[in-house]
Amino acid sequence: MTIEELACAVLDACEAENVEHMLTGAFAHGLYGIPRSTKDVDVVVSINVGDAISKVVSQLSGVVRFEPQIQFDTLTWGKRLVGESVDPPPFKVELFELFDDPFVLSQFRRKRKMYSVQLQRETWLPAPEDVVVQKLRWGRNKDLDDARDVLAVQGPETLDMTYIEDWCTRHGTLTRLREALDGIPPLD
Amino acid sequence: MESSSPDRAAFELKAMQDSIYREKILRARRQTPEERLADVFELTNCVFARMHDGAMWQAGLTNAEEGWEIVRRRLNRLRKMHDAGRFVTEPPIRQS
Repeated sequence: MTIEELACAVLDACEAENVEHMLTGAFAHGLYGIPRSTKDVDVVVSINVGDAISKVVSQLSGVVRFEPQIQFDTLTWGKRLVGESVDPPPFKVELFELFDDPFVLSQFRRKRKMYSVQLQRETWLPAPEDVVVQKLRWGRNKDLDDARDVLAVQGPETLDMTYIEDWCTRHGTLTRLREALDGIPPLD
Repeated sequence: MESSSPDRAAFELKAMQDSIYREKILRARRQTPEERLADVFELTNCVFARMHDGAMWQAGLTNAEEGWEIVRRRLNRLRKMHDAGRFVTEPPIRQS
């Protein structure tokens, strides 16, 4: 199995259940920043369809083996369900449930469609500003590098920096934003 | 050794890091979003194949499934390290 075959299976499952969704993680970072490898397919799943995660999990049986235990992230208390591809390689799938966090809702509202040749379909991905805000909010070293990459490759002049600064102010991450911008070397 | 040598070495190292990073940024800027996304898929498939090759070689294996089991164990160990303190299985206690 390839990572794109697994991503297609996850997207198929969401579409089969009419569950709104968007790809996040390394796919979103790679789209706007510097491409890197990933170990998992991260998908944010809307809960507008009742019990959306259970329905997607059920659709994926035979392709992905999910852990029975829901996990909670300690930053926002959002829910995550982790699974692993049945066939090798042992790719992970992470399903994140959409919840009532103002930024998470804003990010999901602003998602955009893009055609991927590898996936042979249009798929939903977050806007670049939201990738930056999300990465700065998480704040691990890898996340901060990812945020800087997106800022560097897109260029702050092409991004809605007011939107980014507004969320960073709310999240208390303005210092991280400034450090990320300062970390971009001169490009001329 | 002159007292300024460590400073100079650090300066030169930073300049080299910036130069490498600058090239990565400029390369990514020359790509379309679709090309960058395609790179994520390609890099990921290649990295997993290399991890598998490495596990097979290191353990002297000929059975591919055993090689994937080693990769699986290693990745799970890494994940536990990265997730430590970030994810829990108990929901927050709601204050009344």
